[in-house]
Amino acid sequence: MFSGLLGTLVEQLRKLPGIGTKTAQRLAMHIVSGDKQYALDLASVLKEAAENYRKCTVCNMLTEYDVCSYCADTTRDESQLCIVQSTQDVYLLENMHEYRGYYFVLEHLLSPLDGMGLEEIHFGALQQLVASRTIDELILALNPSTEGESTMNFLADQLAASVGSITRLSTGIPFGGDIEYTSSMTLVNAFKRRYHV
Amino acid sequence: MEQYRNFDAQDFTFAPQGALIIGENGSGKTNILEAINYCAFGKSVRNSFDEELIGFSKAYFRIVAAFSSGEESRKITAAYDKKRKVVTCNDVTLDRISELYRYIRTVYFSPEDIGIISGAPTMRRTFLDQAISQYAFLYLQEYRRFFRVLKQRNALLKKELSFQEKKAWDREFIESSAIIYQNRQEYLTSFIPLLCEKYHEISGGAETVTVQYKHAFPCRDGDDYIGQLTAYLASVEEREWEAQRTLCGPHLDDLIFFLDGHNMRRFGSQGQKRSLAIAARLTQAMLILERNQDPPILMFDDVLADLDNHRAANIIQMLTGDHQIFIATPHPGGYTDFQLPIINLDKIL
Repeated sequence: MFSGLLGTLVEQLRKLPGIGTKTAQRLAMHIVSGDKQYALDLASVLKEAAENYRKCTVCNMLTEYDVCSYCADTTRDESQLCIVQSTQDVYLLENMHEYRGYYFVLEHLLSPLDGMGLEEIHFGALQQLVASRTIDELILALNPSTEGESTMNFLADQLAASVGSITRLSTGIPFGGDIEYTSSMTLVNAFKRRYHV
Repeated sequence: MEQYRNFDAQDFTFAPQGALIIGENGSGKTNILEAINYCAFGKSVRNSFDEELIGFSKAYFRIVAAFSSGEESRKITAAYDKKRKVVTCNDVTLDRISELYRYIRTVYFSPEDIGIISGAPTMRRTFLDQAISQYAFLYLQEYRRFFRVLKQRNALLKKELSFQEKKAWDREFIESSAIIYQNRQEYLTSFIPLLCEKYHEISGGAETVTVQYKHAFPCRDGDDYIGQLTAYLASVEEREWEAQRTLCGPHLDDLIFFLDGHNMRRFGSQGQKRSLAIAARLTQAMLILERNQDPPILMFDDVLADLDNHRAANIIQMLTGDHQIFIATPHPGGYTDFQLPIINLDKIL
């Protein structure tokens, strides 16, 4: 039904995460039939973003500059390094306004089934970064999935000698949660890591 | 049932006490039991592929089943069209088909159950893991996690040697194995004494049954499991890289049944094995009832036929609970004691 340029546009939009054929068609129609200036602005910002975004040479976060704004900020606390899986995780953690240390983005988790090993999680670069700094606390902020747990085990084993201490995000009953509907594994974790009130 | 096996479109209404389903061979007695079980497990209890459940030259099958227990009622729908399987509970699509374990619990006494005693170890593990999942739903999560770690670890062993990476997966594997073992141990602690009791009742008290949990590596029960598995994994590291797979763990463990001290798999008679398999299913049902206060649906697929009259009578006597009971048989004569409503497939189809 959609051919020519419009068909190509639909095909390209459909490749975006969470976009199916119907939504792609609706977006394409909106782009070509609506405000022309808006469409041109969208195209130009897409082009600019695609051309300019790259990985920070220190922490792997996606940024417009060679070194991202967090790594470039000398007022941050160099004694803390937080390991996350993706750039998005950095934004989420920054939003809580609790943490003032630096970050390192692994991009992947160890997963032999998907061919993700030490190279893919940039372990060499992380080792170098840790060696170049005096880190009191290494914070592992990875998902508590099978792959996340293994990656945390691995990093903790390998980096224990090079940093003051290693911590990980707490796992347990979510705020506003219900013990009755908490999985046994979550409950076991919550119980093991219970704290004094 | 719609286009399910030999049923094109067929409705059944069952009495609370169940039904005695009779009909000639090939009339579809087992198919009815299989369809009810499909609503409890989300798959065929006869290990058939979904594709094989679709009627000949048809495009899909659908089962719609309404259950009620106490004040609760549920409608389970399962449909498969060779591409997609959709299972719903009260018209809400289930994210995971295994959620069915929470809603409907059935115990299916199959003629193939003798394999629990004399078949391959995988049959005993399947029996045990399925029984625990029905008993404690959360076991399924641990079980899934264990198999995910096992798959990852096996994938790693097929790659180039990376001892550092392997250490991380070893730790996950050991932790997860310990949880599976602990759950199985806990279940068996309740299961074994009851199994012996049930077997006695069936056999008339002549023989003693014991059960041993057999680890796939030298492991002393009661001692530190994690320590023993860690040490063993370290000792077989090279062999594992060579074999490119995990050589020990709960996925390879087994159960051994003994009768008066003799390994039942080797020395038991067919009748003894059959009686023990039935006792195992009865125990499974009793533990579900005890834990969930909800009697599971019991289904006997012509399993009493091969037993001597005395054993069959004992089993019939045991089933006096509030279970809904389904019996499928071509010879209804032996089952008159149950006083179940009769569904005669030869007349319906």
